[in-house]
Amino acid sequence: MATIQARGLTKRFGGEVLAVDHLDFDAVPGGVTGFLGPNGAGKTTTLRMLLGLVTPTSGSVLIDGHRYRDLPNPTMRVGAVLEASGFHPARTARNHLKLTATVAGLPFRRVDECLDLVGLSEAADRSVGGFSMGMRQRLELARAMLGKPDVLVLDEPANGLDPQGIAWLRDFLRVYASEGASDRGGKRIVIVSSHLLSEAQLIVDDVIVLTGGRLAAQGRLQDLLAGSKRSVRVQTPDAERLVQALRAASLPAVVRDGYVVCDGATPQAVGPIMVENRIEVHEMVSSTESLESLFFALTGGEGMQVGHGVASTGDYRRFDDGPAASPSVGPIGGQA
Amino acid sequence: MTRLLGAEIRKLWTIWSTYVLFGIVVVIDLAFGFGLALAPGGRHGGSAGVVPHGSSQWFINVFSVLDVSRILALVLGAIIITGEYRHKTVTPTFLAEPRRGRVVTAKLGISFGSGVVLGALTMVTGLVLGFVLVAMKVHSCLTPLGVSQGMSQALCGVRHGVYYVATTHNMWHDWSRIAPGVVLGTGLFAIYGLGLGALLKNQIVAIVVGLVFTLVVEAIVGAIWPTIGEYLPGQAATALEDAARTNFGGTTQLLPWWGGACMLLIYGIALAFLGTFTTLRSDVT
Repeated sequence: MATIQARGLTKRFGGEVLAVDHLDFDAVPGGVTGFLGPNGAGKTTTLRMLLGLVTPTSGSVLIDGHRYRDLPNPTMRVGAVLEASGFHPARTARNHLKLTATVAGLPFRRVDECLDLVGLSEAADRSVGGFSMGMRQRLELARAMLGKPDVLVLDEPANGLDPQGIAWLRDFLRVYASEGASDRGGKRIVIVSSHLLSEAQLIVDDVIVLTGGRLAAQGRLQDLLAGSKRSVRVQTPDAERLVQALRAASLPAVVRDGYVVCDGATPQAVGPIMVENRIEVHEMVSSTESLESLFFALTGGEGMQVGHGVASTGDYRRFDDGPAASPSVGPIGGQA
Repeated sequence: MTRLLGAEIRKLWTIWSTYVLFGIVVVIDLAFGFGLALAPGGRHGGSAGVVPHGSSQWFINVFSVLDVSRILALVLGAIIITGEYRHKTVTPTFLAEPRRGRVVTAKLGISFGSGVVLGALTMVTGLVLGFVLVAMKVHSCLTPLGVSQGMSQALCGVRHGVYYVATTHNMWHDWSRIAPGVVLGTGLFAIYGLGLGALLKNQIVAIVVGLVFTLVVEAIVGAIWPTIGEYLPGQAATALEDAARTNFGGTTQLLPWWGGACMLLIYGIALAFLGTFTTLRSDVT
C-alpha cells in the first residue's frame, strides 16, 4: 500500500517564477489520479519534484514517507513516463532498457517482457533515433514498468499516441491501478497528468486540479461532478404544456431551440410530471456538467487546450444510462 | 556501485560514437607517428632523424608523440557526462539512481577505465607503427634503390637482419618505458575531462574549454612561467612519461611522475566534486 503526500510543496524558479505554490495533496491507491491543469499550471514541475529531479524550494512530497532520493532502489517502487525524458538516438530500444535494468539489478528477461508488453518487441534492436513519438512514448512506459512499481507516474502520456494507442493505454492503466501489487499486498497508485480533459475524463477516478501552481480542487471525479450543475432536456410536441406543468412543480423550465430545458432538475423529477400530464415524449436527455466545464469554472477559464474537438459545455447522456455520473461513460452527443 | 559501473560501461559500448572516437585515436596516432618518422629531414628519419634512425632516442621520439591521445581521452571523459545532458538521458539515469554523487563516482571510474583502454589502444598502435617502420627499413634493400647503392641483395639482407634484431630490441625497450606513462596519462586525462564536463554541463563548451586550455593556454603559461606550467594538467601528464625528460633534449621543467599523477587526479576529482555540488545538483527539467 503506497501513499503519496505533498505538504506545502513550493517551487520557485530563478527566484521569480513561482511554478508551484504551497501545494498540499494526497494520492491514494486503487485508482487513477488525474493531475489536471492548463499549460504552466505546475503539473510537470510537481511530478518532477515527486521524482527527485527538481528540488522543492520548500515543502515536501513523500512516497510512503520517504523522499524519492532516499528510496534504495527507486526503479522497483516508482515508474515514471516523462515528456522530456531522453534517448540516445544511436542506442537500440533494448539497450536503452538494459541500462535501467542493470542499475536496478533486474534480469534482462524483464526487458524483453516489458518490450513485449508495450508492443515494441519487433523494434527492440532498432535505434531509437528512428522511432516515432508514439514508439518513444511506449518505450518510456516499458522502462517505467521494468520494476513492476506500485507507483506509476505519467506526464502527458497520450502525447504522440494514435487513437488505438490511447485506448490501449487507458485500459492498461485501469487494470494496472486496480490489480495491485500482489507481492506487496496492496493496490497501486497511478498518477496521470493531462491537459486533454475529454481524454482524462475517461481514465481518472480522482482528480487534482492545479491552476497557477495552486490547488484548485481535489477529490473523486464523481463527487466533483455530482455537485455541479445538472439539467434535463426534453423534445416534445407539447412544449408549452410541459413548461407549465414543470413550473407548477416549481421547476425552472424554459423552451430553448425547440427543446424544453429544465436547469437543476433530474430525470427522476421530470419523468413523473410528464407521465402525470400524459405528455408525449420524443427524446429526453439528462446532462451533467463535464469535467471540461467544471474545469473552466475552477480555473477561471484559463487558456486551455480542448482535446479531440469535443468542445461542448454539457455532457449529455441518455436517460437510461443510469443516474450516477460515471467517468467511464463517454461523452455521447456532446455536440448537440 | 557495481551495477552503476555496469550500466556506465554499457552506455559506452552501445553507441557507435565511442567506436568512432577510438578509431580517431588510431588514425591520429598513425598519422603523427608516421609523420614524425617520415617527414623530410633525413632518410627514413624525418624530424626524429636528427638522432640516428633506429636508435633508442629515435624510438622514444616516435613513441612519445603518441601522448596526443590524451586530448581524445579528455574529449571522451567530457562526453561521458555531457552526453547525458545533450540527449537528456540524464532523466532516466537520475530516476534509476537519484543519488547523483554516486552516478558521478561511477562515471569517474568508467572514465579512468576507458581512458586506460584508450591509452592501451594507442600503445598497441604504436607497437604496430614501430614494427612497420623497422620493416620498411629492412624492406628498402629489396627495392631498386637499395640494390642500386652497390650492395648485393644478400649482403643487404644480412646487414638489415642484424639491424632488425638490434632495432627491435631498442624498440621494445623504449616502448615499455613510454607505455605506462601514456596509459596512465590518458586514464587520468579522461577523469580531468569528466570533471570539466560535470562542471560545465554543455558538451561543446566542455570540449572546447578543455582543448583550448590544454593546447593554447597551457603552452603560453608554460613558456612564460615554467614553475606554474609544470603543475598544469598537460605538463603533469607529460611528467608521467619516464622518457619525457630526455625527449627532444629534455629541457622542459617537469614534476616527478607521481607528482604529475597526483596533480591530474586532483584536477579531475576537484572539478567533478565541484560539478556534483553545483551544476549536477540543479534541476533536471
